[in-house]
Amino acid sequence: MALEVLLVEDSKTQAHQIRETLESVGLVVRVAYDGPDGIREAVNAPPALVVLDVKLPTMDGYQVCRRLKMHPATRNIPIIMLTEKTSAEATMTGLNAGADDYIPKDIFATEHLITSLQELGLLE
Amino acid sequence: MTRMNMPPVLSVDIEDTMDIMIARDTARRAAGLLGFSTSCKAQLAAAVAALAEVILKAGAEGTIHMNGVRNGSKIGLQISCEAGWLHAMSSHAVEEMHGKLSKMVDEVEVVDQNPPTVSLVFWLLPPRQVKE
Repeated sequence: MALEVLLVEDSKTQAHQIRETLESVGLVVRVAYDGPDGIREAVNAPPALVVLDVKLPTMDGYQVCRRLKMHPATRNIPIIMLTEKTSAEATMTGLNAGADDYIPKDIFATEHLITSLQELGLLE
Repeated sequence: MTRMNMPPVLSVDIEDTMDIMIARDTARRAAGLLGFSTSCKAQLAAAVAALAEVILKAGAEGTIHMNGVRNGSKIGLQISCEAGWLHAMSSHAVEEMHGKLSKMVDEVEVVDQNPPTVSLVFWLLPPRQVKE
């Protein structure tokens, strides 16, 4: 059975692009468009992976990450932060929040995302 | 114990902001080749990007070298560059750079030779290794 990924991304255009990448490697994707919705979705039906943007309305990706890593239903789910915030401080904030990877949205993003999925054991 | 350099040996020229992205990518590759976990690769990429930003903010250009380093049974990734641009920085800015980089790697060394060098090392400790 295909693994399910929860993508938390407020931009519909970017969500569409990331969804295509994830589906191209055989993953099933659900999308949440803000942080609280993402947390609800993850807790109610825990996915195999969360791909999380940082800049989100209502609650930023760091807070979402911290909450998911504290909740018993979701704490073991790997989280990849995929974001435009590329500074060292932003990266360390994401990793300290419990993210398993922190990938800048740049020209290498797709390649890094797929490598990360392999390393997290989600792809052959 | 003497430190020895080992593969991989990768270098990135830092000349403009686009090179920061390349440096970040190269750091991830170097860290991946040594067996660092995904989160450590992200951390090392951030450290290299921060160093590249310092070079460009100083109005300089430079080359960042990344290589494996061995000390006895311990291996790690060493990131280094010549840093003639350090002379143009205030001591406060150098301290700030040191503090910022220290949050991302195990060792930050600024050697005041001619030319000065900046060297960072991040050791591949068991919790930092990619899980088989």
